[in-house]
Amino acid sequence: MEEEKQGISEDWLSVWIGLLIFVLSLGVFVGADLLGFGITTGVWTDLAKALKPVSKGFEGLGGLGSLIATYVFLLVVMTIGAAALKANIGKFVVGFTAVFWISYICWIIGSYANIAVNTPGDMKKFGIGWSLKLTAESGFIVALLAGLIVGNFFQGFAESIKEAVRPELYIKTAIVILGGFLGVIAAEKLGLATAVMFRGLCAIVEAYLVYWALVYFAARKYFKFSREWAAPLASGISICGVSAAIATGGAIRARPVVPIMVSSLVVIFAVVELLILPFLAETFLWKEPMVAGAWMGLAVKTDGAAVASGAITESLVRAKALVMEGANYKEGWMMGAAATVKVFIDIFIGVWAFVLAIIWCSVIECKPGERVRPGQIWERFPKFVLGYVATFVAILYLGLNFPDLLGKTKAAMGEGNVFRGIFFTMTFFTIGVVSNFKKLWEEGIGKLAAVYILCLFGFIIWIGLIISWIFFHGVKPPLITG
Amino acid sequence: MSEQPKIAEELKKMEYEPLLPVEKKLIGWSIGLGVVLLGILVWISYTFFPSGQ
Repeated sequence: MEEEKQGISEDWLSVWIGLLIFVLSLGVFVGADLLGFGITTGVWTDLAKALKPVSKGFEGLGGLGSLIATYVFLLVVMTIGAAALKANIGKFVVGFTAVFWISYICWIIGSYANIAVNTPGDMKKFGIGWSLKLTAESGFIVALLAGLIVGNFFQGFAESIKEAVRPELYIKTAIVILGGFLGVIAAEKLGLATAVMFRGLCAIVEAYLVYWALVYFAARKYFKFSREWAAPLASGISICGVSAAIATGGAIRARPVVPIMVSSLVVIFAVVELLILPFLAETFLWKEPMVAGAWMGLAVKTDGAAVASGAITESLVRAKALVMEGANYKEGWMMGAAATVKVFIDIFIGVWAFVLAIIWCSVIECKPGERVRPGQIWERFPKFVLGYVATFVAILYLGLNFPDLLGKTKAAMGEGNVFRGIFFTMTFFTIGVVSNFKKLWEEGIGKLAAVYILCLFGFIIWIGLIISWIFFHGVKPPLITG
Repeated sequence: MSEQPKIAEELKKMEYEPLLPVEKKLIGWSIGLGVVLLGILVWISYTFFPSGQ
């Protein structure tokens, strides 16, 4: 979580932007279709037919008009946000323009029928003889690869757009909007949603207690890291990547350089996980969709990569379950499990850092002048979670108390969801841009990477799988009937 | 302009610190608590939050 020195934090900004889009989407309730111009892309073989606005009321705009309107709307909103961050506005406008267009073009490419189509019926419908069967969400992967190419081979360009390369801002905004979308599906199946949330909470309690201790032990005992390095490394690898490494570094009073270096490693490996784990989940866990979703939340580090990998996993697993068993799972549950687990992890980072600070100061090493304050829990609390909870609870309340409005609620969240998807795609692209493998290699990443690889692929991923299995096996998303 | 420190240089500066008994205790307690809570949380999950469709 990167905090700006002067303006508001990206964390708070994501809350305001997410809530703005959420509130605008609610215009549907009073007959004001405020976000209906939002661009959507269907699977295509003829590009002219691929793009269209989300609402029929805006059909007159056409696909290109809708895309331009979406860009202008987001540019205005994000530029106001950039002003609140005290970013360089001129550079932000240029950077955001590049980020938006490259990301969306990647999304369009990912929706090309030969890449996306995954059922024999759809192959017939589009008149194609082969497909990579990556689903329409493959646009995320395309965006990530484009970002990696820019970040590693076009560093001058990456530098010129860096004011708008803010994956944390984009994913947190997306998660705030996602809250409303998940509120709708929870309202339809409250008992199941409650079970998923409670089990998600259980899973992260286990993850904190077991993961952290094991990684800390491995780093100290076998790799001979000092306490200053081992603690942020343990949090970064085991809990929630960047924000956990920084919070832990602060809690044990490590030099700022330590969590920053750990964070750069976390981002790189999150990309590796993002490219591997959803496909492993599709291959081995398609019969246990909720295990797959929760596993992404537990095993993939950084908010962006975790929730995004939940989205890809959902898409892949739903498609495979449909082809193999004819089971047409409702959308949102697997990604919801990943997001729930990740949000709980984020909520507890502050608490965990506080506990570590107390332990460090009382029994391990107390630095001169150090004082542990309970207020630090709030300071480290990820504020975007407030936005997520607000949109989730508001829509859940509406859905449960006004079932007659469910149709309009779905339409409203559907419009908001279009922008959630765009923020997701921009997250993927910008994660790729900041993942500079070459730079880390030049800096001598060896030993740090070794402990990371050993812990992550040696047990973090597998313990995460076991925990997910224990709490989520047998839990199935509702089926689409009729 | 000062150059940013490199990871390799920072790691070289790191001094060896033996694992203290209190750290071993922290690790042991954390894993032990995790295992005990696992049983309790699984029981609560399956008893009070069944996932029956």
